[in-house]
Amino acid sequence: MIEDGPGSQHGGQLGPGSGGLGMVTKSQQDDGIKQRPQYSMPGILHFLQTEWARFEMERSQWEVERAELQARIAFLQGERKGQENLKQDLVRRIKMLEYALKQERGKYHKLKYGTDLNPEDLKPPTFDKENKDDHIDGEISLSTSSGTGTATWRQGRQLLRQYLQEIGYTDTIIDVRSARVRSLLGLQTQSGDSDADISQSVLVNGDQPNKRDNQGKRAGLKKIGNLANDNALIDTENAVMTTFDFLNSGNVVEDEEDLSDDNEDGIAADDEAEERLERASMKLKGDNEGLTGLDETDADTEEALAEFHFLESEMGGSSEKHESSSGEDEEWVVDQRHISELKEQYKKERKGKKTRPTRHALQAMLASLGGEDDGFTAGVGDGQSLASSGEAREDDIPSGGQISYARKPMMGLQDDDENLDGGLVLGELAGLTVNNEADPVNYDISAPKEGYRKTWSAKYTLRSHFDGVRALAFHPVEPVLLTASEDHTLKLWNLQKTVPAKKAASLDVEPVYTFRAHVGPVLSLAMSPSGEQCYSGGMDTTIRCWNIPKSDIDPYDSFDPNVLSGTLEAHTDAVWGLSIHSSKNQLLSCSGDGTVRLWSPGIKSPLLNTFTVDSEEGVPTSVDFVRCDPNQIVASYTSSNTYIFDMETGAQVLMLETKINSDASGSNQINRVISHPTLPISITAHEDRHIRFFDNNTGKIIHSMVAHLDSVTSLAIDPNGLYLLSGSHDCSIRLWNLDSKTCVQEITSHRKKFEESIHDVAFHPQKPYIASAGADALAKVFV
Amino acid sequence: MKMANETAPIIRRNRPGTKNKDWCNWEDESFEEMDSTLAVQQFIQQAIRKDFTNVEEILNPPEGQDEGVWKYEHLRQFCMELNGLAVKLQVECNPETCTQMTATEQWIFLCAAHKTPKECPAIDYTRHTLDGAACLLNSNKYFPSRVSIKDSSVAKLGSVCRRVYRIFSHAYFHHRPLFDTYENETYLCRRFTQFVTKYNLMSKDNLIVPIMEDQQTLEGESEA
Ligand SMILES: [Zn+2]
Ligand SMILES: [Zn+2]
Repeated sequence: MIEDGPGSQHGGQLGPGSGGLGMVTKSQQDDGIKQRPQYSMPGILHFLQTEWARFEMERSQWEVERAELQARIAFLQGERKGQENLKQDLVRRIKMLEYALKQERGKYHKLKYGTDLNPEDLKPPTFDKENKDDHIDGEISLSTSSGTGTATWRQGRQLLRQYLQEIGYTDTIIDVRSARVRSLLGLQTQSGDSDADISQSVLVNGDQPNKRDNQGKRAGLKKIGNLANDNALIDTENAVMTTFDFLNSGNVVEDEEDLSDDNEDGIAADDEAEERLERASMKLKGDNEGLTGLDETDADTEEALAEFHFLESEMGGSSEKHESSSGEDEEWVVDQRHISELKEQYKKERKGKKTRPTRHALQAMLASLGGEDDGFTAGVGDGQSLASSGEAREDDIPSGGQISYARKPMMGLQDDDENLDGGLVLGELAGLTVNNEADPVNYDISAPKEGYRKTWSAKYTLRSHFDGVRALAFHPVEPVLLTASEDHTLKLWNLQKTVPAKKAASLDVEPVYTFRAHVGPVLSLAMSPSGEQCYSGGMDTTIRCWNIPKSDIDPYDSFDPNVLSGTLEAHTDAVWGLSIHSSKNQLLSCSGDGTVRLWSPGIKSPLLNTFTVDSEEGVPTSVDFVRCDPNQIVASYTSSNTYIFDMETGAQVLMLETKINSDASGSNQINRVISHPTLPISITAHEDRHIRFFDNNTGKIIHSMVAHLDSVTSLAIDPNGLYLLSGSHDCSIRLWNLDSKTCVQEITSHRKKFEESIHDVAFHPQKPYIASAGADALAKVFV
Repeated sequence: MKMANETAPIIRRNRPGTKNKDWCNWEDESFEEMDSTLAVQQFIQQAIRKDFTNVEEILNPPEGQDEGVWKYEHLRQFCMELNGLAVKLQVECNPETCTQMTATEQWIFLCAAHKTPKECPAIDYTRHTLDGAACLLNSNKYFPSRVSIKDSSVAKLGSVCRRVYRIFSHAYFHHRPLFDTYENETYLCRRFTQFVTKYNLMSKDNLIVPIMEDQQTLEGESEA
């Protein structure tokens, strides 16, 4: 059933019956045109384009999933074969022992009574037909039986290998494992080693018959017919040994690297002159001598320095390694510990598979693949982000149950291990998310292969913060962004300054500048429309105004105190939200002190106005300018109310009906409010997993949707007002089509720290970049 | 606040609007219950929040904790908190007066962040060293994972310690009131000194800030 080609799946998707949840079919769309003739030609084209892109995306997702399932089937088949072989061997052994026992009894009987037992009983046990001739000696039958099993065993092994390769394992691991398995079966250990030794020496000598002799001697009588099998066995053993050898040589390379590192460090540690100049000696000696002293230390220091510069300086070294490891992935220049880790991981994976509920989901998908169209769409709803489009339509109608059932496990899994879990997560994730950013290894599998694709994928990883990244903002034009972190700093990143990485999937970026002035975590950030200034709000109650250095600045330039151009002080508690006006030089801030304030940074008395509400409204959580009304601002509160204020008078103009439309139970604060760039609409992100849309004129709700599996923390809207980006503590970001309110893409992006995962998301105002900021101290940029 | 309404499960979040006094103001979570990849960081920060003066306790790893990761996460935390000292130094440590990175009169430290080591002024040395440490400790090449770290990468922690320690020593010998204020707020130099001693990351001769005497008297009765 899986063999149904992608073509038929595609057909199913486009077929009239497959409309289903959240999917608009052609006929529906025709209806739409008839009923609503005001649709313009470009609008329709746009719609068709986005629909087509979505279909393409789904199709590639299904292809990926299909490959995944096939691999899994192959794997399971291989596993079954392995089990069968094991069983056969065990049965054989039991029979052998029985036979030996009978013989002993016979001897005993003969000694005691002087007569033979019934010869029937002494007939050696029979196994498979092929083995008949080997029964003279138990030993032989054991070793040859392993030979006969080899064909099927090898087949299973081949399938296993194929599967593992797909998830990123290579032969080495498999061989190590298989060697272990065989030693467990008692087939290998000593004989395997000597076999390999022999065959290797033989290979060197080119003396084939000799080997046969040795083999024959060792195993006793041999059947010619088994030669082929033996050969196969030896071949695989050879493979095992060569990979072991390879591993050894890998170790050597690694050791060398360690050694050189040690040297580097050794010099640094032993000779404290590294980076030190003895002042006294400098003073005593003449200029020249002082200079030579400098030169000497330079030599030492240069080496020591490589530590901070190793990123560049060692690139050459690692590429050399590449070559020396004869085309193998550099990944394989690893030590045994790493391999045992991988093995652990693999075991974990297998264990996990048995318990994970998503297996049912997979089976359901399998079943629905074979089913009719209805089943097919149900399958889609089950696993994919499209399910949320269903939710988006029938708000609160608990298709949410379905989705959380399908997805919960992936979040639990994520925490398993930093860089190795992707392989096992993918099995589930392939069906659930468009790509699992957390693991670059998966890229080959999960990345759609089409030339044209409208899907976003992770391109840059911004590592340098020591703690959660609370906010980020793009430069209005350049491929440059700013991040604000709980580690007390802000950092400036130039996406054109990347660190070359060994894997092409994602590039690392190093910051070009670090802004230090806040005492304590930095929580909010805004970039001026010119891209020359930025503003940051922190737990220290201040708002700092910065002149942003040029993005091609030397990261290790000397300190310029003028980067900090001013400090706005008036708040008395943490500053949680900032928003900047797109044309006026005005800044909005909201704080844990309960106030929203309007500033004009740079003028003599920058505080223009303060907006307050009744104390039972709690504290403002987020604030924004109403983009289509130059005189209004919108602010959300912990009470889950949202108010629109008049900027001049400071009076409340309107209360949006956010509270009565939210889940009344417990904490349901609004985490973010943003204003639509062109329409009188405010969009709110809620702790109760919803995103809601409100009319700024009436305050009435326009739309509400369960948008994530956990609280929605952040929102960003693209400059054209076509797409909405949301981030959530469910570790994912989602892209929404604002027309249809459907989810276009979901990307798992960050890991959790306590119960927090994603703090902020952003669109580049001009370039095709989106970004997310995580509690895991990383920021990521997608293209 | 609404967030006080949570009853059954504690959701450990600092939501927008959280007041400073409520920041991370939740019940301690036991290390076993922390199931995230950042558990060690969470554990360390929790211990610091509980009582930053209890250096001993903060440096006491949970049972079975991998030592490499433990050292690594502590060093991350040190570098992060050193940002606080750097912020203070930025105000006071002037490149005109502190033209070189010095502690005692004996040595001038060269800044290792540059291709050729430079005689950076103290404030630049401070910033460059912290920036360089941030790059190294976040390097995907050396520290691709925060749950398991190669021995060869663990070996790099010592040199980072040596460099960042000079920030303490400069502040101590040249900006003593500033150092004392900061130290009273954080106990960071005490913690750092004990950390590098406990894990043998620096030789004793290099620990020139005489804070260990204080420490020794403190060790017995961890005073608040
Ligand atoms: Zn100074
Ligand atoms: Zn420097």
